[in-house]
Amino acid sequence: MEELVQKQLDCGIELGVVHVPGRHAVAMELRVLCGMADEPGELLGLARIAEETISKGTAQRDGRALSDAFDEIGAAHSSWVGREAMGFTCLCLPEFFERALNLHAEFLRTATFPQDAVQVAVDLARQELHLLEDDAQSLVEKFLARQAFGTLLGRHPLGEPETVSRVRRDDVVEFWRRFFQAGRMQAAVAGPIEPARVADLLDAAFAGFGSSLRAGRTSFPLDFSPRRTHIFKELEQEQIGICFPGVGVRSPQYPTERVLMGVLSGGMSGRLFTEVREKQGLVYWVGAWHENPRDAGMVFLGASTTPQRADRTYATLLREVDRLSDDLMQDELNRAVTGIVARTETRGDITRARCGEMADDLFHYGRPVPPAEKLSWVRAVTIEHVKRYLLEHPRTQLSVVTLGPRALEETSGR
Amino acid sequence: MVPMRPESPYTLHTLPNGLRIVIERMPDVRSAAAGFLVRTGARDETPELAGVSHFLEHMCFKGSPKRDWQRINIEFDEMGSNYNAFTSEERTFYYGWVRRADIERQIELLADMMRATLPPEEFSMEKNVILEEIAMANDRIEHAAFDFLRERIFEGHPLAWPVLGYEPTVRGLARDAMADYFAGRYTPENMVLIVAGNVEPPRVIDAAAEYCGAWQSGGSRPAVRTRPVLHHGTGVKTIDRFQQQIVALNYPAASTVDPLYETANAIASILGGDNSRFFWNIVQAGLSPRAGAYHLDYADCGLMILSGQCEPAGAEQLTEAMRREAARIRHEPVAEREVQRVKNKRRTALAVEAEAPYYRLVQIMDDVDSRGAPRTVEERLAAVDAVSVKSVAEYFERFPIDRDGYLISVGPRHWPQTN
Repeated sequence: MEELVQKQLDCGIELGVVHVPGRHAVAMELRVLCGMADEPGELLGLARIAEETISKGTAQRDGRALSDAFDEIGAAHSSWVGREAMGFTCLCLPEFFERALNLHAEFLRTATFPQDAVQVAVDLARQELHLLEDDAQSLVEKFLARQAFGTLLGRHPLGEPETVSRVRRDDVVEFWRRFFQAGRMQAAVAGPIEPARVADLLDAAFAGFGSSLRAGRTSFPLDFSPRRTHIFKELEQEQIGICFPGVGVRSPQYPTERVLMGVLSGGMSGRLFTEVREKQGLVYWVGAWHENPRDAGMVFLGASTTPQRADRTYATLLREVDRLSDDLMQDELNRAVTGIVARTETRGDITRARCGEMADDLFHYGRPVPPAEKLSWVRAVTIEHVKRYLLEHPRTQLSVVTLGPRALEETSGR
Repeated sequence: MVPMRPESPYTLHTLPNGLRIVIERMPDVRSAAAGFLVRTGARDETPELAGVSHFLEHMCFKGSPKRDWQRINIEFDEMGSNYNAFTSEERTFYYGWVRRADIERQIELLADMMRATLPPEEFSMEKNVILEEIAMANDRIEHAAFDFLRERIFEGHPLAWPVLGYEPTVRGLARDAMADYFAGRYTPENMVLIVAGNVEPPRVIDAAAEYCGAWQSGGSRPAVRTRPVLHHGTGVKTIDRFQQQIVALNYPAASTVDPLYETANAIASILGGDNSRFFWNIVQAGLSPRAGAYHLDYADCGLMILSGQCEPAGAEQLTEAMRREAARIRHEPVAEREVQRVKNKRRTALAVEAEAPYYRLVQIMDDVDSRGAPRTVEERLAAVDAVSVKSVAEYFERFPIDRDGYLISVGPRHWPQTN
């Protein structure tokens, strides 16, 4: 039987553990509540440089020795930087959990940020920005995020060439000192490990790590820009990205938004796949998804197609969102709900997925939410809920980015 | 039903028409996954049919004896299945991962799709989708580089053409030609039903007999696969619209069934995986943000690919750095601790793989196709544990990576100059 435990640790860390006996591995995610939105405007890209270099040297060993120490216990570890948080994830065998946790504490607490490592990270970020030009889909996402979320939440992890080039070791150290503290940390752990032991190990590893007072839990303002932008690029396909504001994860309408995403793009019977690809053969890739900063949300639609089919693809995408208010069928809604329920259950067999879901719950809800509770919210969604959601989120407020050899016709989608 | 060792998690069975069934029982999970392996892929095509295996994979979702495309899609989604299909050079695989109670329904749906009717009107529509997929791939430099790499190294052999086919071959493909290919390859003797998860094997076998038992035998895959001759040399493809250059050094390597297969994987990891020599000596030297080593394996051959992406002006420096690392690992013995680190990481990865039916399904499919039988996680771990400093040395005796390779360069710069 699974056991879900939440605890506020003395050191300041907010902990969630799902104890799952019988699993073969333990998954952990440590989140530090600071991210791209916390960067000074002239140093965009700083958070990622900090994330890249925090494991390149500690008070005890250099970066290579630290990586070797993880490999000695076979622990797979990685990290990411987001808008409002940075994550450090780890997957290891249960007998090595304590060592893996202590290695994380070592680099999070005693990082030395070697000068040469910072310089290399800045150089590589500049190269990555250049390489991004060859990744059409990621480029659209970058430009669309700026229009969707604004100057704070719409930042890109790599920053901009001129801002990331300004980042110096002192800036990285200052960022780390200011934000890396136990009161800004959340920990999620899943696997065959006793919650009380996890709590003791974390408290021991992070006692005295900066302030234990809670911080970093306020939301940033979202600044949505409804407009249409085309970026010329010599490509075989036109990339299309569309977004409109949705709701935050804690909103009573969030389960409705999840179901709406399922109706549009939950599987191959979803509206977009059916109408854009199956009935018209316009695209190979089409999809809908949503992204949620704290207390905010954005709904995205995307597709890529050859230029002569772009206007028709764009018009079909919008038509399908509009039509839902009029002709959403009960069996479509049922399928979307079943999809969410079934995928929650099947992916529940993966320890890493359970851990990631709990880390998200801690971030958004401030508590681990039992999967059954969240699924009960989804099961309660009706057609009327979807209609009300669409009424309150009209597509008159759209932000669009296209990238490719030609812009959409002015009249497309109107 | 063939009983395996008492402690074996597997049940093997063959229907009278030749369809093999492989089941792994995983009593600790809540879900189950099923898939049909069809032992055919791009290397089984003729030049004029390049892309037919992949196109056919799409068409299996477009109509079956019991369902049209909408019913197929709807019924997958009514189960909340995680489903898809993929085609490679050597195989095609269709799968669905569902809650355990739905596994028989999932098998029935997949089995129905394996008798695809290839509706003519859907054939034309889906051709447009494939052409869009080719256009999308052409916009990605990594894809363009990988296709060019195989085109040059396997020149004159079916492994040289892309799984998606070429725009003219796809455009020119006739439905009847696909139907002939389908009839010859999707025979029960050339297919395997694989199931992993919390299932009752006798019920799975009964379901397979009910849904697949009437399939007509048609002979096994034509034994026409020939072993390719790997070419040496230099290939440059200039594509102005990309910003970056991809360079790759390619060397013959162990095949899937070679005793040194796991050693090849370990070498790729030591040379170009996480915490590898490439990472510390090339990426962290600022020469390339993305550089790695990859072991590409087929049934009768393999490639060790050392590759990186960089600014066009840095191509020489990156290539030289990769050559330097290749020479160093060839001539300076690999340390025991490097080999051990790879094994430690594999141990964790295998523990994770044992958790989820979908992961096991794909691994069993791989083992059944290339080795004829599934391996338990313990057996796979034993294979990894057999890698040693000595086996690494043996590998380089057979598969040197400091000479006779193929240098591939793709990007806006025409480098190196070739005749």
